[in-house]
Amino acid sequence: MIPEEIVRSPSWYESSARNRITGLLDAETFREILGPAERVMSPHLELFDLPPAFDDGVIVGRGQLDGKPVAIIAQEGQFMGGTFAEVSGAKIVGLLRAVTASAGTPDGVSAVLLLLDTGGVRLQEANAGELAVSETVRALLGVRAAGIPVVALVGGRAGAFGGGGIVTACCSHVVISEQGRISVTGPEVIETNKGAEEFDSRDRALVWRITGGRSRVLLGGADSYVKGDVASFRAAAARSRNAAPPFTLETMAAEQDRLEKRLSSYGDCRDTPEIWARAGLADPASVPDIDDDAFLALLSEREIKHDAR
Amino acid sequence: MRDWTRQKTERATRMDAAAPFADGKVVAADNATDMLRRVIKSGDRVCLEGDNQKQADFLASCLAQVDPADIHDLHIVQSGLVLPEHLDLFRLGIAKKLDFSYSGPQSGAIARALDQGKIELGAIHTYIELFARYYVDLTPNVALIAGVCADRDGNLYTGPNTEDTPTIVEATAYKSGVVIAQVNKIVDKVPRVDIPGDQIDFVVEAPRPFYVEPLFTRDPGAVTDSQILMAMIALKGIYAEYRPKRLNHGIGFATAAIELLLPTYGEKLGLRGEVATHWALNPHPTLIPAIESGWVEQIHCFGSEVGMDRYMSARPDVYFTGKDGTLRSNRLMCQNAGLYACDMFIGSTLQIDLAGNSSTVTPDRIAGFGGAPNMGSDAHGRRHVSDAWLKAGREAAGGAGPLVRGRKLVVQMVETFGEGMKPAFVEELDSLALARKLNMELAPVMIFGDDVTHIVTEEGIANLLLCRNADDVEQAIRGVAGYTPVGMARDRAKVEALRQRGVIRRPEDLGVDPMEANRNLLAARSIRDLVTWSDGLYSPPSKFRNW
Repeated sequence: MIPEEIVRSPSWYESSARNRITGLLDAETFREILGPAERVMSPHLELFDLPPAFDDGVIVGRGQLDGKPVAIIAQEGQFMGGTFAEVSGAKIVGLLRAVTASAGTPDGVSAVLLLLDTGGVRLQEANAGELAVSETVRALLGVRAAGIPVVALVGGRAGAFGGGGIVTACCSHVVISEQGRISVTGPEVIETNKGAEEFDSRDRALVWRITGGRSRVLLGGADSYVKGDVASFRAAAARSRNAAPPFTLETMAAEQDRLEKRLSSYGDCRDTPEIWARAGLADPASVPDIDDDAFLALLSEREIKHDAR
Repeated sequence: MRDWTRQKTERATRMDAAAPFADGKVVAADNATDMLRRVIKSGDRVCLEGDNQKQADFLASCLAQVDPADIHDLHIVQSGLVLPEHLDLFRLGIAKKLDFSYSGPQSGAIARALDQGKIELGAIHTYIELFARYYVDLTPNVALIAGVCADRDGNLYTGPNTEDTPTIVEATAYKSGVVIAQVNKIVDKVPRVDIPGDQIDFVVEAPRPFYVEPLFTRDPGAVTDSQILMAMIALKGIYAEYRPKRLNHGIGFATAAIELLLPTYGEKLGLRGEVATHWALNPHPTLIPAIESGWVEQIHCFGSEVGMDRYMSARPDVYFTGKDGTLRSNRLMCQNAGLYACDMFIGSTLQIDLAGNSSTVTPDRIAGFGGAPNMGSDAHGRRHVSDAWLKAGREAAGGAGPLVRGRKLVVQMVETFGEGMKPAFVEELDSLALARKLNMELAPVMIFGDDVTHIVTEEGIANLLLCRNADDVEQAIRGVAGYTPVGMARDRAKVEALRQRGVIRRPEDLGVDPMEANRNLLAARSIRDLVTWSDGLYSPPSKFRNW
């Protein structure tokens, strides 16, 4: 017998960006903007003798989720690490600005779904990529200021690193699975700069203990934890669209307060089991190893909630 | 009058010289190097246990500390030469000559050392070939081995990674040699006696547990659609066709894909119980789903695999375990099983030439052979029959005469383009250039073409059993070589004729739909899935986790 959780497919981690969109939205509702047929590609990769992609690794468009209009952005983590670059960045920023412009009109959407799967800025287009991240943050906050929630969905192979980690933190709500990772400086970069004693990037259990979905949701770096299948991400996206806090000064102050308390409580910890022990979790070392049902039970029994964001 | 006991006398002299550094058989770690200085003499043949997986790494670092002025010109005879310390022995001038089987991570360093004349190379062997020579002309004078624990009498528990140890000790101890074991711990009573203390002269408690490399863990997350297509082709065109029940799998991703397809695609083909029931195989984590689905009767292992011990202890009907409950592996026995008791070997390679010779050598690396040339060869001494063996033999002979003997199925799986888009099919193997450069009399060939029965690529199967001459073989190989230069140079008419004869079979000839070849077909798509399948008994090493 094949274990049920393995046949429960398709998995978010395994799926391409396009398949994630298909699984996330109501059937036949997705309308892509600047799709691959238009061949708006990176003008830079050829200089490095690297193959471009017809969509530059980002898919943007509109569709419906449970009958309500949404805007959707999906990074393809398998193309150039899902990186922010000139064309891919312009597609993201353009859609976010269009969403703000259409707020309150018949073209308005109920939410923006941001499917992050990225290592951050594309090094071959570093300046354009850095600009793209900054402009994305600015445009994203504009969408939130217009009263439209932006929901980040993180569970791809590349995680959400570098500028992708910063963008994630700016969203109204963050949904993550066990395999998802969020951070700014990636494990390999830390190891390169500070040595393997500081952070051993090949110790993958360590990488996930620090940056992985379970740690992030326990610490409030993510708001919803889901099992790794596409259907669970869809359900969480629909749910959290209505749960996002208002984008107000009070929310920002509450978030600042929450982060300050977190830093003072756990700032000296070297690894997450230390944090779990200090937070009073019964079996800190077992957090990575229990199954998803047990972990979800742990979350609900401790009523872990992070209202601010 | 000739002295017939020189070896025993020599042994006694050395043992006496070493005695002050030991308390009975127990030697403190700090004294280990001094003890080695007394026991080892220049020119000795030394086996410094380096297996495929387990390494006597502490004793290796001790030996590397002796003064080359005192001890030099050692002749190293060991199957695996994989630690930097092993190469240091040659670099420092402590060792001179080398006979080995496998080098793995040191393959580049060995090639450089050979080029610089730091190593005098005896030969690169297969495992049982080297083991055989331990008993004929390469018997060690001193063996430095590794075990999990020992008692003060020297009784040794080698545990799941028993591997080469009994073979090395037998040859050394019964020919007046000296056997020294490093153990992780000295205990009052060992869980089971893998090597009787009678054969062990000294035991040293090492400061760190011996090193073991997880060599056989393939992450299902890295299996590609193309490998899945090849696995489907192999299952339909070879497993379903010949029904080999007893087999060995190589360590590549293509065979890992087959293992992961058994409970899904294999089940659909109705093959459960019909094929792949008895194995000579390392404990591949990717076989867990097939075991749990009732495909596998039993498995004998060359060695163990990091993280698999608890799973195997809980499945003693499948694995060979001791009365203590842990796995017992044995490389000599298992290689012998692969040679004589298996109907099929299927594995990956890096390069194949137009005669079907294959090699994993690149111009600047000598990775050695390990067991593949043995697994992947037809045993001419075999006399028992099986349906798979006879069918292969009849195909090779072109009929069923009164004296047609069988053939072992030797299947090579390879993607037409390998890593870095390097063509896997070549006019001349890189190993020939290497042999010319290093003046080797025999170019290192993993499996010779006359042993290969089938080549599987994503383009289909070339059945070399049905080829009647060298031209057939060449065109059959070109016919499955896809868009590589070798494939593009095929004779279209001849390839089409071979396809009509069934020598070449394309996916469509087999009823395999390439569109069906995707990761959803895998019984496990991640290491985490394998843990789930094992009911939490498999605990993968950290480098394979993504949770």
